[in-house]
Parts: sequence; structure tokens; C-alpha cells
Amino acid sequence: MNEKAPKIMMEVKNINLRFGGVVAIQGVSFDIHEGEIRAIIGPNGAGKSSMLNVINGFYHPQEGEIWFDGQKRPSMEPYEVAKTGIARTFQNIALFKGMTTIENVMTGRQLQMNKNIFWQMLRYGPAIEEEVQHRKRCEEIIDFLEINHIRKTPVGSLPYGLQKRVELARALAMEPNLLLLDEPMAGMNVEEKQDMSRFIVEVNEEFGTTIALIEHDMAVVMDLADRVVVLDYGKLLADGTPKEVQSNQAVIDAYLGVPH
Amino acid sequence: MFYKETGQFKSRYKDELAAFPLFEDKIGIGILGVLTFLVIPLFGLPGLNYEFAMGAIMIPCMIFIIMTLGLNILLGFAGQISLGTGAFSGVGAYAFYKFITIFPDINIIIALVLSGLVSAVVGVIFGLPSLKIKGFYLIVATLAAQFFLTWAFIRVAWLYNYNASGAIEGPNKEMFGIIMIGPQSAGMTRYYFVLVTLIVLTWLASNVIRGRIGRSWMMIRDMDIAAELIGIRPLVAKLSAFAFSSFYIGIAGALMVFFWLGAAEAESFDINHSFLYLFMVIIGGLGSITGSYMGAIFVWVVPVLIKEVGKSVFGFDAFVMENFSTILLGAMIIIILILEPHGLARLWQITKQKLRLWPFPY
Repeated sequence: MNEKAPKIMMEVKNINLRFGGVVAIQGVSFDIHEGEIRAIIGPNGAGKSSMLNVINGFYHPQEGEIWFDGQKRPSMEPYEVAKTGIARTFQNIALFKGMTTIENVMTGRQLQMNKNIFWQMLRYGPAIEEEVQHRKRCEEIIDFLEINHIRKTPVGSLPYGLQKRVELARALAMEPNLLLLDEPMAGMNVEEKQDMSRFIVEVNEEFGTTIALIEHDMAVVMDLADRVVVLDYGKLLADGTPKEVQSNQAVIDAYLGVPH
Repeated sequence: MFYKETGQFKSRYKDELAAFPLFEDKIGIGILGVLTFLVIPLFGLPGLNYEFAMGAIMIPCMIFIIMTLGLNILLGFAGQISLGTGAFSGVGAYAFYKFITIFPDINIIIALVLSGLVSAVVGVIFGLPSLKIKGFYLIVATLAAQFFLTWAFIRVAWLYNYNASGAIEGPNKEMFGIIMIGPQSAGMTRYYFVLVTLIVLTWLASNVIRGRIGRSWMMIRDMDIAAELIGIRPLVAKLSAFAFSSFYIGIAGALMVFFWLGAAEAESFDINHSFLYLFMVIIGGLGSITGSYMGAIFVWVVPVLIKEVGKSVFGFDAFVMENFSTILLGAMIIIILILEPHGLARLWQITKQKLRLWPFPY
């Protein structure tokens, strides 16, 4: 954690997102500092995943600005956002089911690979060198996440916890500046949660990757996050360190309910 | 299998990424090579008339394998369904015909590559709807390609040089002093030409599939949303799959007419053929190169063999056997798909897995 003069990596300003008459996000602004773990929490339907989708370029908000690396970002498609160094994992796993673990991780390297179709067809010289070079990087990530043993297993047949880990590996293979994790620990048992938490902290500390995560397990959030954003019904409820948020009356009300 | 990877350690990623990392696989491929390059051209297939074995089994089989490879790239690897295969193969055939009649001195290999490229361009044009629609709706869009193109093959007389029969026919044409196509070409030369083409195209396809571009196709197939987030442009991935697939199909179409049939009309490229190729892909196994081989061989050879056996062993009438083989093939397709929806390639994989443990099941 960097206490003095944090650099703002991403800032969303006054985002409004509507689907027809349904208001999903209403005037939400917050920022993400470089190198921090930023948690986004809130009850179901609060607009957390929609927020990630806005950052990702899946949804285009009707109003609001996104600033990334000190510049205002124009409206972008997801594949353009990927090029700016933003990777993410999904709430319900979105792996490539027909491919093995190593192939899935290799897909994260797509953007860094650029040999054209003729080299690809020959798979010789530059093309195979490129393949080997990226394979090495992927193997390092696989080592790091301790999934060596399932390297050649088709991901469809893996247990849930491991699939989540492969998805993280794929996102890490992109070597992102900003990593978005959508409920990385949903549906895991305690042990798997511990493993995943350890990986998230290590990614943050060793690679210096900025992480924004959505999570429902409050114990995990309070432990991991440097700062927390709370959303409810598409509105910003609170923003601050875990301690501040924990003692915020509006947050407690939103989670526990208030007598009317 | 009778052999395992045990003891064959790789110390470089390059070795592990090779097409056949196992020593025994290399031996197997070598044996196949000797069979196809020497034994079969010399002796034919056992129990069958030599001319028949070459002209009705080997050459068409190899051409259909190229066709199946092409369709499998689109359907099995990129997940885009097409019923326009027959028409795209026609584009290749007519383009080849135009190239060799407009430029009589053109090299056959160059003409073949060019006609593949023409087919690729047409494939991309008719692949454009895939950017917006998926699944059943895409089938309908490619069906439009099928009907429009076969209509064009009949109505646009320029395509068959305004001849009275409306058919395209291969003139005698030589390469390096050997007559390659046309009525005077030897079956043996055509066999070798098709065989080499098949080997080259298989090699290229397997390379592309294992590399960056092949992965981008599989990403689009398995989860297009995630693919987009990793930076794949759906436009590029889908259209490149259509182009690559149509390139193969176009070459197969040209080979089919000029290296096998000798002459063809628009009906050689009709929707029934599209269905036939689709059967080959599905029976062989989606997303597998070995499967493309198995599917094409199975769907083509089994009916031919049934007919032959019926005629020579049981003495049935040829017409009866024609119908009987269709019925039997249909039944076999249904049985295979019920037993193993992923096709012969998966069946082969399971067999290999079981053989690893054999004779002890646990």
C-alpha cells in the first residue's frame, strides 16, 4: 500500500446507466489508485457487475466519463479496452470449455502475439519462437497459481475451484495493469477461499497489479481491500477504508435492513 | 494405445509443441506414408479392382478429406454453421475452370491456389451475416449463398464459357511435361497430385489451428464474450475462419471436378452435397483433424463397400444395393451419433484411453 500521494489509475465520474426504463447505475463516481486492491460491495442487484461491464466497454453508459491513466477514455468496444491493459474474470466462469488449461492460459497472450497467417501456416521460425516464448511466460503463471498438474486437462472437466483459478491465470497472462475480479470466491469452500485470497494478495504485491474486486464475503473484503466502494440500488452509498465503511450507518442499514 | 509417452521426456517447449511429439506416432505416420505413396499406387486396395480402388475410393476420399477439413475449420473450430459448402466448392471449381481457359499457360498449382482465394473471398462475403446472427439463423443465411450460387452456376453462361452442355470440363493440361488433368491424364499422376495437396493442406491447417489464429477461432466458438474481453475482434476471427475454410473448400471443389470427375455441372455443387460434407464433419468429430479424415473416409467408403459386397458376394441388383446402402449408412450414422455424439474422433480417443490400461480396467 502506498500511503503518500497515490496515483489515480482509473476514475469513473458520474456514471449513469439505464436499460430502457430501468436505472442500473445512477451518478456513481469513484477512483482506483495505482497498486491498490479496491473492493466493490453491495447487496444483490446493486449494479456492481454492471459497473465492471461499463469499465470493460460492454455497456456504454448514457452519461458519465471514464478516465484511465490520466486521460479521458472515448467510448470503446471490449476488445479495445483489452488493449489498454484491463483484464477481468467472470462471476459465472467464462472459460473456453473445449480447450485445455494451458490453451486457455495461452489465449491470454493473444494480444501480445502478432505473427501473420503465413508464418502461422508454416509454424516455423518466428511463429514457433513466438509460441515458445509466450508458452514460457504462461508456464510461469501456471506455476505461480499451482495448477501444473492440470496443465493438459480440458477445463470443462475441472472442479469449480480450479476453473476459477484457471480463469485467474488467463487474466494474469494478459499482464494487465488493472485486473477486475467479479466474485472470485463465489461458491468456494474455506480452503479454496484462503488459496484464492493468497493469490490475489501475491499478484498485487509481486506484480504490482491494481485489482478491483467484487465480493460478497465480508471477512475477505475487509482483510484484502485497501479501500471499499459500497453500491446500493445503483447509487454510491459509501467510499473509504474497510474500517470507515464498516461503521457507516447507511451501509449497515443497506445490509441489515431498517425498520420502516 | 500399445505405447505410451512414458520415458519420452521433452526438455524444450519446441519439442513438446511438435505435431507428433511421440516417437511411435512418427513411426505410424511413416507407415501411412509408405502405404499411400508406394503400396497403394502399386497394388491397389486388397480385394478390389485396381481402377475402382483408385478412381472410386482413394482419389475421392482424399478430396473429400480436404473438403471436410475446410468445413471443420469453420464449424468445428470457429463454431460457425454453414450449409453453403457445396456452393463454395463450386466457386473453386468454376474459378479454376476460368483460370485455365483464360490463361492456358497458367501453372496448375497457381491456378489451384488462385481459385481457392476466389472461393475465400466469396466465403467472406457470405460470412458477413455471421457477425450479427448465430446458430439456426446463420444456417438460413448460408443457405441463401447455396441457392444463389448454384443459380449463378446455371444462369451465368460466362462461367462455363457459353458451351452448349452447360458443364465445365477439364482440357488436357500439362505441368512439367506431364499431363495432369483432362481425359488423357493418368490416374496415377492425379492420385499423387491429390495426395501431395492433401498432405500439404493438412499440415498447414494443423499449424494454423495450434497457433494464435486457431486459438482465436476456438475462443469465439467456446465463449465469444470472454474472447472479446481478451482482445479478439469478432469480425476478424469470424471472417478469417470463413476465408480459411472456403479456401480449402474451393481447392477441394476444383480438385473434385478436374482431378476426379473430369466434368461437372451445377448439380455437383447442390445442397445435397452440402449435407454430405456436413455429415462427414459431424460423424468424424467436430474440431478434430483426425476426425475430418475418419468422417470423410467413413461416409464415402462405407456405402461404396456395401454396394460392392452386395453385388459381388450376394449377387444383388445394383439398383437395390444403391438404396440399401443409403438405408444402412443412415442407420449407422444414427447409431454412431447416439453412442458418441462427438463423432469417430472421440470414439478413437476413448479407445486409446482404454487401451492404455488394458487388460486391467482399474
